[in-house]
Amino acid sequence: MIKDITIGQYFPGNSVIHRMDPRMKLVLTIVYIVIIFLCKNFWALGLMLLSLVVMCALSGVPAKVILKSIKPIAIIITFTAILNIFYVRTGEPLLDWHFIHITTGGVFTAVFMIIRICALVVASSLLTYTTSPTQITDGIERLFSPLKFMRGGVHTLAMMMTIALRFIPTLIDEFEKITNAQKARGADLETGNLVERAKALIPVLVPLFITSFRRAYELAFAMECRCYHGAEGRTRMKIMKYSKLDAFGFLFILFATGGVIALNMFFRHVV
Amino acid sequence: MSILKTDNLTYKYSVGTPFEVTALDSVSLEVEKGELVAVIGHTGSGKSTLIQHFNGLLKPTEGSVLVDGQDIWESKKTLREARFKVGLCFQYPEYQLFEETVFADIAFGPKNMKLPEEEIKERVLRAAEFTGVTKEMLEKSPFDLSGGEKRRVAIAGVMAMEPEILILDEPTSGLDPKGRDTILRLIRDYRDNTGSTVMIVSHSMEDVAKIATKVLVMNRATVMSYDTVPETYRHAEELLSVGLDVPQITKIFMELKRRGLPVRDDVYTVEQAVVEIDRLRKEGVRV
Repeated sequence: MIKDITIGQYFPGNSVIHRMDPRMKLVLTIVYIVIIFLCKNFWALGLMLLSLVVMCALSGVPAKVILKSIKPIAIIITFTAILNIFYVRTGEPLLDWHFIHITTGGVFTAVFMIIRICALVVASSLLTYTTSPTQITDGIERLFSPLKFMRGGVHTLAMMMTIALRFIPTLIDEFEKITNAQKARGADLETGNLVERAKALIPVLVPLFITSFRRAYELAFAMECRCYHGAEGRTRMKIMKYSKLDAFGFLFILFATGGVIALNMFFRHVV
Repeated sequence: MSILKTDNLTYKYSVGTPFEVTALDSVSLEVEKGELVAVIGHTGSGKSTLIQHFNGLLKPTEGSVLVDGQDIWESKKTLREARFKVGLCFQYPEYQLFEETVFADIAFGPKNMKLPEEEIKERVLRAAEFTGVTKEMLEKSPFDLSGGEKRRVAIAGVMAMEPEILILDEPTSGLDPKGRDTILRLIRDYRDNTGSTVMIVSHSMEDVAKIATKVLVMNRATVMSYDTVPETYRHAEELLSVGLDVPQITKIFMELKRRGLPVRDDVYTVEQAVVEIDRLRKEGVRV
């Protein structure tokens, strides 16, 4: 159940996309998502879709794994599509029956939205598939480093994120262990109504919280023992450097952006 | 009839994915009533997976598990019965404590069994007395106890269910020698007093030699041997070859034998060693 969540799943590899600088990947992903929403017609959207396919192919992540990322949002996609089909009233009428009015405009918008959302999800999944969580948080920290003057600092936030991500699998493990231990003592977690089930979770959640606090203390001590004292004077083992790959990536997205703007202007009338 | 039986038990993790792993490979095993079985095997040999099948926490991919001659996966009822017949105490059980008082925590299992109030109280007091949990401790919060005390409370929580088969996963790990001896004595006494079948998973060969009647050796998802303690340690070489340890005293006797002394090859406690060396002396062998 819990293991099915794919958010933040990293797919190890050594492709050109994997080797790009995480900062560049983060920025380009955001730019890509923005451009998807600037597309005004199918030609522009098609161009973005094509570039996404190229990037996915370059990443070496199996298509099956990439498509899996769409599965969790299938409901949202269906919902958006249905709303658009029924509520957009532009274009030629296709169906006019009692209170249901479907128009060509509605169908177009629905398809447009589906492609948009899928592209958005696939693009951000591609980022997490090709960049390890540590790299992502590192990248975020470096990108936001101009905000150093903020109280607490960017470093603290990034460190918190890293630790949180690092401990998700540990907590899932712990959760399963405690659940099994309580089941072995006859705890019944599967039957009963909502209130009963929530109550049945107490024997699992209390030990889980206590373990988490204990872990937090231990981790803090361990970090202090290794002389951790925040960002000040901290150097890095892996120094991020932009390479030619990043320049190529940047140019790739730049051309795609140019293409979208051009296509938007040429085919102004379509959808 | 054996109290616990597995028939061609096979278990695979993550079936149908590239990460599929066979954790148990057609394990057939019969445990007689009243035995004190020690399960040994190194990490990843399938010990924990095996014991989680005995009370139905894991469902076999193939094969069956029979408790008291009853297939536990036959219906929901038989499964629930197995949960109470087979008491499973996990590794580091002190992390499962959650109630406000020690008393309430020990009572959690019996309460789930839907026993009458009086019976619950009786069982909690009995288990507490047995594990050396004092009256004052019963009123305390389990989180105010020391590590060893918490461990005993957690074990009492499983014992209070009075299972026919008590299974403990590494009950002595992380304890000091004194705490370890206390727990081992307690486990042995439990079996002697109630006539229940007991199974312990252990890494310490000395512990195993001290209390077990039978040893189950797991290796690479299969049962390597299931035999009495002397028989098991007679094959010390094989144990060592699969990366398991044997008691220190057994190692010494293996070396003595290698050097040509006519010593027995099933010595596994210091007491036996003393007897054996005395015998050699009397027979006039230079030791």
